[in-house]
Amino acid sequence: MDLDFLQSLERERVLEVLQRDKQLRLMEEDRIRRMKCELQELRRRGAKSCARQYGERTCARCQRPLGKFWNSGDVCRGCSHRICSKCRVGVGAADWKCTVCHAYRDVKIRSGEWFLEEKFKKFPVTENKYETVGETLLKTYNVLSHISVVPPTPPPHLDQQFLSRSGSLKNSIPFTKSVEDLMVSFTSHMRKISTSQSDVQGGLLYVDGGRKGSCVTFSSQKSLSDTDINKSSRLFKVPSLPNLFKRSKDSDHEGSSTGAEEETSFSSEYSGGKRGSNSSICTDGGRFESIGVAGELELALAYSGDASCLEITVGACRNLSHGDARRRRCHPYVKFYVLPEKSGKMKTTVKKNTTDPVYNEVLKYQIERHLLFGKRLHASVWHSGTLRRKVFLGEILIPLDGWRCEDKASQCFNWYPLCPKAEGPDGGAAEQD
Amino acid sequence: MTDGDYDYLIKLLALGDSGVGKTTFLYRYTDNKFNPKFITTVGIDFREKRVVYTASNTNGTTTGKTFKVHLQLWDTAGQERFRSLTTAFFRDAMGFLLMFDLTSQQSFLNVRNWMSQLQANAYCENPDIVLVGNKADLADQREVQEKQAKELADKYGIPYFETSAATGAEVDKSVITLLDLVMKRMEQCVDKPPAEPANGNGATKLSEAQPNEKKCAC
Ligand SMILES: Nc1nc2c(ncn2[C@@H]2O[C@H](COP(=O)(O)OP(=O)(O)OP(=O)(O)O)[C@@H](O)[C@H]2O)c(=O)[nH]1
Ligand SMILES: [Mg+2]
Ligand SMILES: [Zn+2]
Ligand SMILES: [Zn+2]
Repeated sequence: MDLDFLQSLERERVLEVLQRDKQLRLMEEDRIRRMKCELQELRRRGAKSCARQYGERTCARCQRPLGKFWNSGDVCRGCSHRICSKCRVGVGAADWKCTVCHAYRDVKIRSGEWFLEEKFKKFPVTENKYETVGETLLKTYNVLSHISVVPPTPPPHLDQQFLSRSGSLKNSIPFTKSVEDLMVSFTSHMRKISTSQSDVQGGLLYVDGGRKGSCVTFSSQKSLSDTDINKSSRLFKVPSLPNLFKRSKDSDHEGSSTGAEEETSFSSEYSGGKRGSNSSICTDGGRFESIGVAGELELALAYSGDASCLEITVGACRNLSHGDARRRRCHPYVKFYVLPEKSGKMKTTVKKNTTDPVYNEVLKYQIERHLLFGKRLHASVWHSGTLRRKVFLGEILIPLDGWRCEDKASQCFNWYPLCPKAEGPDGGAAEQD
Repeated sequence: MTDGDYDYLIKLLALGDSGVGKTTFLYRYTDNKFNPKFITTVGIDFREKRVVYTASNTNGTTTGKTFKVHLQLWDTAGQERFRSLTTAFFRDAMGFLLMFDLTSQQSFLNVRNWMSQLQANAYCENPDIVLVGNKADLADQREVQEKQAKELADKYGIPYFETSAATGAEVDKSVITLLDLVMKRMEQCVDKPPAEPANGNGATKLSEAQPNEKKCAC
């Protein structure tokens, strides 16, 4: 699809319309982001705390204990958790869902996610599920008309790690003057969005990069560390933290209403005998390989002062490469640890047969707040293949120092573009865990 | 209109032959004005409107719940030479106003072609559509009878309205009817059990596509 058949005046007209459409889309993205934040807040409150005994019978939402006979709760159709009678929404005794499942459904409707899913069923070949025709056209033409402009040189204080990443990213994301042009019209929008500029979605990111005169990845990562680092905070040299973290077992499965389907397809796998077990992907000693990196990872970070832990909410990934390109299959999971010690390895569950997995899992990493200084969160996405073969799908690195834990906006979900493996001293060779 | 204070963004799209009155119809709907001049649309355009939607139960009674809906109304060019562009935009719309001109038999005959364009390019095989016969005010020039149009609409199982962008008759009602269909569709989409053939009411033709999805798990 292109606009080449139009006369230049006509093309201008159409591009004007598409530009207007873009404004609307930005407003919509902003709205969806706020909505997802609220949902996440609810989800976080509902997630079972890691300290709690897993076998204990409590309501998965309000954590109140459930009796054996009296007030024993019931299983939610959406997430299969046991829910007390107070944490249910819906009509009738049979037709209810838990508060989180209900909110999730609501967001799916109000964000237009339902539409994207339907559309994807009919047009599964679409490169970017989230991109509209108008958006694609607009991008094509904005890039073409300003193709000759060279991106500005990154500032010297850029650290090597970032340089290598952004260098490779530059090739994949056209960074042009047009971006700066667009910026003018977006600035007002950006202000509205939040104090955090860690917004990695769509044009906003480019805009940010354009203004600061740095490059794309850098701006997204810098923005996190950008916020005032509390220099007065005491700096501790700690030995690596021996498994202080605990995986939040109660990974909420609101998103995976496909649970049943996953299990069936799982049985055809080599590791079929271990179905349902999170630990079935034994990475130690497993082989890994690498393919083209694509797509994004959605994360939200929050620090819980009460529990002294960093809460990493893994939302979803989108447009991942097929881990098994030949058979066009992908069973992705996300792995985390904290650098430089490489402590606290955490993993999400594996999602089957999707390049747009939805996790909605909360992982917790126990650490005193002041110890976050100098730390970075490393997240990598892997395809879990047969015979313990792992395929690297991309990674990101988020500085944790100076990151404002109290800042509501940074607790919201952000999409981070995945980067190829860094060759740096502490980012590279990260897979032999 | 630039604040994000709404509950739903619903994208509708008007299509039909050139001159049937798509642009004029949408202008009447959003601004309640009539433009007698014919300025043919270049490629695509859109208008916006905020409406308050009152949810109703399946039996038609209102639940009293109201929502703010931001409507994005895509206006497409009817001219043949823009066809590749306009049909590409079909896939991003949630509902369709398929329009013809009551004073033009030819525009009515072309409804059939527009229907197949929709089937091929819309987000699903059977999207929500409302058939609109426009220019009802020009009674003396009428070439398409109500019965004829109604029969065609019934055949497709879609609602039919006779509107006038000149007087405003039935304009709001046809758009709201479409909005209503889309709102109901959203609920159905999220509530139907995943990976199971869509049950009952024949609302979806997706059941045939299901076995494929299973197969690719090899
Ligand atoms: N009397 C009368 N005239 C109408 C009505 N609706 C549209 N018209 C006139 O019909 C002509 C064509 O209307 P447009 O809205 O521009 O047609 P269109 O479908 O947008 O055409 P394209 O943009 O070329 O696809 C204009 O002169 C309108 O004033 C109506 O309900 N009654
Ligand atoms: Mg027009
Ligand atoms: Zn409860
Ligand atoms: Zn639930």
